[in-house]
Amino acid sequence: MKEDMLEFRLHGRGGQGIVIAASIFAEAVFLDGHYARAFSLFGAERRGAPVTAFIRTGSDRLMPRSRIYEPDYVVVFDSTISGDTLLAGLKREGTIIINADSSWTKRLPVGEIEKATAKVFIVDAREIAWKHKLAIGSFPMVNTVMLGAMARISGLASLDSLFVSIKKRVSASIDANINAVKDGFQCVKEVNSFAPSYD
Amino acid sequence: MPFEVVSGSQAAAIAVQRVGVDLVAAYPITPQTAIVETLANYDAKGELGCDFVSVESEYSALACCNGAAAAGARVFTATASHGLAYMHEMIHWCSGARLPIVMVNVNRAIGAPWCLDPDQGDSLSQRDTGWMQIYCSGAQEVFDTVLQAYRLSEELLLPCMVVFDGFYISHTYEAVDIPDKEQVSKFIGPSNFKAQVVPGEPGNIQGIIPGEIQHQLVKKRSETMMFAPSLFEELNKSFEKIFGRCYRAVEVVAPIGAKTAIFTAGATAETVRWCLPKMEGTAMIQLRMFRPFPAEQIRSIIEKNNFERIVVIDRNCSVGVGGILAQELKAALYGMSKLPAVHDLILAGGIDLTGEMLGQMVEESDGNVKTGYKWGDELL
Repeated sequence: MKEDMLEFRLHGRGGQGIVIAASIFAEAVFLDGHYARAFSLFGAERRGAPVTAFIRTGSDRLMPRSRIYEPDYVVVFDSTISGDTLLAGLKREGTIIINADSSWTKRLPVGEIEKATAKVFIVDAREIAWKHKLAIGSFPMVNTVMLGAMARISGLASLDSLFVSIKKRVSASIDANINAVKDGFQCVKEVNSFAPSYD
Repeated sequence: MPFEVVSGSQAAAIAVQRVGVDLVAAYPITPQTAIVETLANYDAKGELGCDFVSVESEYSALACCNGAAAAGARVFTATASHGLAYMHEMIHWCSGARLPIVMVNVNRAIGAPWCLDPDQGDSLSQRDTGWMQIYCSGAQEVFDTVLQAYRLSEELLLPCMVVFDGFYISHTYEAVDIPDKEQVSKFIGPSNFKAQVVPGEPGNIQGIIPGEIQHQLVKKRSETMMFAPSLFEELNKSFEKIFGRCYRAVEVVAPIGAKTAIFTAGATAETVRWCLPKMEGTAMIQLRMFRPFPAEQIRSIIEKNNFERIVVIDRNCSVGVGGILAQELKAALYGMSKLPAVHDLILAGGIDLTGEMLGQMVEESDGNVKTGYKWGDELL
């Protein structure tokens, strides 16, 4: 057993494409030479309901088949999900990647995040998705933007491998999705100050 | 051989496409839906190469397979949970009629109330229907076992159920080595079992018979099924030559000096396997073949390794008795001179198994207690 297994927990809502994002990320990691598994928890499957997806990566094909309780990475596709749920079990000095504009500190428990000594990264995936006209009605599809951010911060998947997987798994707006990945990769930034924003 | 990142359900469907069947009849049900979807997609692209019958219920799905198999067709269906329960009468009929049908069941709890979690009680409660049952611990095993199920079924003329856990396997995307049709055909050629019904030759089959004849037929079926564990190992030798992978009806991972063995089937086996290096003195017995129950192999594994204690992980519960794997195991151990203690961890419904729970269970089963059980929620 090798000890380099990394665990991701993705939080979003039904319709945001987090399950497919998890499988694209896992495939890209695999194409880049590591093993990866992506899986999800469904309650009743419906748009807007909270959905959790998981990814495990590592150099050993053998991995446990249990849920992830102490993730190395928490990826927040929708920051209106309860902060307690998001932070539960996050490893000390773990990483949080949040889809948010600068007002995220009003919604998420900043004090808890500081206590967890987590590294926090934000990307305004909603804005980027609109820019690339990735939306179903009024519902922006942020998943491919978040993939770009995850690739940049974790260093586990290359953009090229993400593009290969997207071409295989996404049926529409492939160019827009690829550009969204690139923008997510470019625009994700670390948050160094947790002071509330008043803009 | 090319690896692809697919879900367990997709792996099952791709295996069916590679085998090349004559008929698929199926009805979608969570968490098995992706199997039917994937096969329907093959059909839409003209790559399934057979009839895809969209039926109105699971009962009809198996009835349809039954009729086609009686006419000599190689068939496939897939279901889960309530769908399997709904098929119950036909499940008996297929085995009585000696039809080599392969069906995938994806484990899901049975209501009431509705629950989607992977309780294995749906398939385990079909244990007396005369089907072989093989439990898989990951998507690669799913793919490989579907191939092997056709060989087993067609050689023994008995139906075979390939079983895997909902979500833990059905909805998990992972790398699977997927050989092409040509490779697969080296292991599994065209079906050549005899048709019971031949167009243009009117006749009557499965008519009413006296109990004494039925007795002989049941005896024959039972005796035939007992060949399955050794046939499975034999098939795996040729499977390994082609694909480089090999499975046993009962698998054991035993570090030297281990006194305790964890006994389980399905996805939990991989969690246990992963935890073993951190659990000193603990081994694992993975039960792949549940029907026929490979009692002889299990006894010889326990004798050879001198296991003193078996901790069973049961993702099911026969209410009023306890975990089904534990019951079956205890029956298989009857008469052994050095009887190991048997403890049972019951995860019925849907309790996630973690390494911490496993460690705690093994620790608590230590000591002189001969038998006992624990409910999963008591370890959380």
